[in-house]
Amino acid sequence: MEFVKTPDWHLLIVWYFFIGGIAGGAYFTAAVADNFGSDRDRGVFRIGYTLALLLIGLCGILLILDLGTPSRFMNMMGAFKFWDPMSIGAWMLGVFGLFAFLSAALAWVGGEARAPLRRKLSLLGTIFGFFLASYTGVLLSATAQPFWSEARLMGALFLASGASTGMAAISLLLFLSGESGGVGYRKVKHADRFAMVVELVLLAAFLGLLGSAAAPITSGTFAPLFWGGLVAAGLVLPLLLDLVGGRVRVLGGLAAVLVLVGGFILRYVIVMARA
Amino acid sequence: MARTLAMFTDTSLCIGCRACQVACKQWNELPLEQPEWTGGYQNQSHFTDKTYRLVRFIEKPKPDGQLQWLLMSDVCKHCAQAGCLDACPTGAIYRTEFGTVDINQDLCNGCRYCVSSCPFGVVSFNHDTGRANKCTFCNDRIHNGLGPACAKTCPTESIQFGFRDELVPKAEKRLAKLKEMGYTGAQLYGADSNGPLGGLNAFFLLLDKPSTYHLPEKPLLPQRNVLVDSLLSVGSALLVGVGAVMAFRDRGGKEGGDGVR
Repeated sequence: MEFVKTPDWHLLIVWYFFIGGIAGGAYFTAAVADNFGSDRDRGVFRIGYTLALLLIGLCGILLILDLGTPSRFMNMMGAFKFWDPMSIGAWMLGVFGLFAFLSAALAWVGGEARAPLRRKLSLLGTIFGFFLASYTGVLLSATAQPFWSEARLMGALFLASGASTGMAAISLLLFLSGESGGVGYRKVKHADRFAMVVELVLLAAFLGLLGSAAAPITSGTFAPLFWGGLVAAGLVLPLLLDLVGGRVRVLGGLAAVLVLVGGFILRYVIVMARA
Repeated sequence: MARTLAMFTDTSLCIGCRACQVACKQWNELPLEQPEWTGGYQNQSHFTDKTYRLVRFIEKPKPDGQLQWLLMSDVCKHCAQAGCLDACPTGAIYRTEFGTVDINQDLCNGCRYCVSSCPFGVVSFNHDTGRANKCTFCNDRIHNGLGPACAKTCPTESIQFGFRDELVPKAEKRLAKLKEMGYTGAQLYGADSNGPLGGLNAFFLLLDKPSTYHLPEKPLLPQRNVLVDSLLSVGSALLVGVGAVMAFRDRGGKEGGDGVR
């Protein structure tokens, strides 16, 4: 018999974890394109900052809806506990939203004169973006739940997945707007492949460290989704599609969709295994 | 802070009358709930948002094959280091001046993080109010010079209420006596303030190992993982960051110099 109770977190939380990851990853990608890329990467950072801003808004809505009584979200604003992922996460979501708003505004209407400010701002904002992408994993591991609390690399894994899904979202938007021939698109794809490899390595380490404690996702009900949906279709297949199908553009778009679906499945199996 | 209050539950004295469970329900105005078939006399199978005191009826096989009852009145442990309290993002879960842990219902926003953070599965979500519930240590009573309803009503003094620094020596004396009487498995659970979770302000004398009573052998504070996992996340950020910078950097004019600043 189990001692602990599960928190009854369901799809709203899974969506929040997933979308928060994309928001953080998209902002980070935009900041890198802005600071280290060229003028031809303008499309990348414009899409990245704007997407982050919109998704942060959606994150806020998801969090508030999950509480059942929306006005009670304000109770969260009466406390600041830096050691508590839930408390600091709510605050950082707001701070990150502010950064994303300023960055998006400067990217569209700032002009070249404000570019240095926008670039500096985005480096700082990236810290909060990374925070949003990863704290949700730390939040799960800082509970009394078996499996969650035994997983040491949950935050690191969520961060790599967030970066990867953020890049996939940007590349998908570039693809859909017919810009899949550009330099920016190629660079995002290149960075995404790297993030996916990092994620695969972290996932292997995550499972290795967990050992038999990983059973809730690696065997049983969630096993087909985990191995087939995340590992095979969400990581290995898009890597292969990007490497093999570099010249067939539609394969690049398909790879981005697969990465996004894989990112959702990662959060889904982990949260639902204990929900 | 005032002197720390505690409850000492001596399971060797429990007769399973459930007066504590009823007194708790009545004083705290906890409504009726659907009974659960547990295969024995116990009801509910675990703490709920309407059951803060729960008498456990453990049926343990003896060497001769007969079943033996181990009775235990279980309750929120009011941990000195409380996972629920640290997890609460609104400050609704707080420590009283007596060292007990209570939930300010007006501040709770129903996030359920405390439910997943209690090592004992005590805190429960109340779907009617959308807020978390658990034993209050009869916060209203102890602020008016009364003991908790469960301790007050216990007919065998299996549940004792008092100052922690007085109850612990009492418990140790009782343990020594039981050992003398041949109860070799007898042990204190949560009495040691240097033990797990800094000691439990509701502590127990058990006649068998903790897991027999559905208690974790070594409860851990969930927040112990925050620092390490955060640092590992920073490492992941650096790795991903290096990859992205490499992908976006203009390589020696290979892609044209139009972006060089």
